[in-house]
Amino acid sequence: MPRFLQGLRALGGLTLMLASCPAWSTPPAAKPALNGESCSVQGLMDQLRQGMGSSSKAYRDYLNAVLREAAVTLPSGELRAAFDRETDPAMVEQLAAALVARSEREAEKDALQAVARRALEDRDPSVRAATVRAMRRTGALEKTGDMYERLMRDGSPEVRMEAAQNLIEDNQYVYSGYHGPATDTAVNAATASTDPKVTAKILESLDTRKLGPEAGQKLLGMLGHESADVRRSAALALGGVPAAQMGPAREALVGMYRGERDAGVRKALVQGIAELGFADAVPELRKLRSVDPSMAPEIDAWIRALESGVQEWGLLLREKQRLQQVR
Amino acid sequence: MEEAEAAERRFSDQTCFPELARFNDGVTMETFRDWAAPLLASKDPLVRDYLKSKLAELIGDDAGKAGQVVDWARDAQGAEFKVLLSGLRESDAVQRPQVAARLLEAGLDKGLPLERRAGMLSALDSQKRLTPDAMDRMAEFARDPASAEAGWAATRTLGRVMTRESENLGDASPYLDRLITIATDSPDEQIRHLAQTAPLHNSPVLDAKTTDRFARILQSEGNEDGRDAAAQVLAMSSDKERVLKLFTDSFNREQSVCVRWALFRFSARVAGRDALPVMAQMATVDPRFQPLYGTFEALYAQGNVDFIRIWNELPDQNPFGCMDRHQ
Repeated sequence: MPRFLQGLRALGGLTLMLASCPAWSTPPAAKPALNGESCSVQGLMDQLRQGMGSSSKAYRDYLNAVLREAAVTLPSGELRAAFDRETDPAMVEQLAAALVARSEREAEKDALQAVARRALEDRDPSVRAATVRAMRRTGALEKTGDMYERLMRDGSPEVRMEAAQNLIEDNQYVYSGYHGPATDTAVNAATASTDPKVTAKILESLDTRKLGPEAGQKLLGMLGHESADVRRSAALALGGVPAAQMGPAREALVGMYRGERDAGVRKALVQGIAELGFADAVPELRKLRSVDPSMAPEIDAWIRALESGVQEWGLLLREKQRLQQVR
Repeated sequence: MEEAEAAERRFSDQTCFPELARFNDGVTMETFRDWAAPLLASKDPLVRDYLKSKLAELIGDDAGKAGQVVDWARDAQGAEFKVLLSGLRESDAVQRPQVAARLLEAGLDKGLPLERRAGMLSALDSQKRLTPDAMDRMAEFARDPASAEAGWAATRTLGRVMTRESENLGDASPYLDRLITIATDSPDEQIRHLAQTAPLHNSPVLDAKTTDRFARILQSEGNEDGRDAAAQVLAMSSDKERVLKLFTDSFNREQSVCVRWALFRFSARVAGRDALPVMAQMATVDPRFQPLYGTFEALYAQGNVDFIRIWNELPDQNPFGCMDRHQ
């Protein structure tokens, strides 16, 4: 749930409680006149402004969807003017999402640029964060140039985190990991960031099967990062690189294991090695087993999972979890 | 400009309901059906989704209210019937044993029309788990020649709850056991096929007994699609050697090139690179597979290990036109 709604939900819960106290004090509400009419920018804005604090998630979800749906056919001048005027982050997010939806459906080409500009330049960090959220799970990433690298240098940690979340969700849900340029955008942003938390967040779950060679080099470089969290996430990301990059990735992960002191990073190195080799990784993992006795149970769990012969990474991860749970 | 905007507004196809806020604040279980009727009549899909979620909120975790909705659903018509059951399905209370039991009774009630029973049985697909008794009764019903679309719905629910159970690392085997019975015994080819393909959504690792039962489907199912699905499911057997042998024998006897293609490619899902000798032999039996063998061999030589990656790297995933044979 967007952060701005969390506080409101708590309040909504309170009004619900108060309203349901003495049944006799509130006569049954009169049936509203439920006539549909064509949507207008002003009408929708009023409804949103009133309704976004509702305790009903069903109603908030409806409001979130309706402006995006109506966006394509709303008058563009009014919509742009409302967006430019608006300063309430929650409303900016709605209007920005409507403009992105217009742009996605090619109703208006430069609408997205106005949104991107505001994400980078608005003075209020909450508005920048809200505008970034409005681009989530859309194709905005392909049309905004170096916006994400620039967002990584935003002064506000909230904005940086929201941008990271876009890169993660866009790669996962819009491209399913199959669009190399989107993968590279995420890696370039992660390596441009000076906030280790943000870098780690982007890399730890990134599907790198379509990673380009240059971004692959940058990713290898992150293994030497001073932050353990970044090293851990880079090791996980390297587990999934395309066939042509697997050899160097495997060497880097194996070579690093002995010198690595952090237990979390070691776990990630083992997982990366497992993913790069499947059953072929078993001899290598056996050799690494004696380096650090405390890692033996983890390595054994991997060896058992890999020896099951399951040929798909997602299912191997599940088998490893299952085997560890049964024990 | 104003004229152009007015024109745009005329073409707006999204309907807005300014009074929906009043509906949302005032509606209760008692007024829901009466108040929702005009909204349903509008046929607006966003409003329909809203009504489902709103009903789920009104039901909450109250088994009494949920039971009321089951009663309404016995004679509600058209869109209202769907909203009632979808709302119930989304509610917390549907997880309560007495509510699930009531839905099951309605789904198996011979006094109700089959399409209505199908809806009731489908509404059970959000269950976290099913009791052994519920599984038995649904499986028995699905094998009844007269169960038709309701038997199909029961089968789909068994499959969906199995998938959820697997995702939560629970035990899928009780569901799989019933589904294999349906997959083998149902006289209805569509229901059998649904049961045969159910394990494709959760890819369970098959033990020796389950491997036996699916081997029988591979060898005796008259429908090609069923044999195709059986090959894919069998690839997850824990007994790799046995399945490779089974695939080799079946390939020799198989007349359909589509099922042969399934046996060929899913050999790689059984054992990865180690399946190449078996695949080479198949290509000797049927020379149409020679170029495909070359492709698989090259992909493994490049260092690919994951079957999904291999599959996605194939220059042609549909070399025999099997994917479009039903169009």
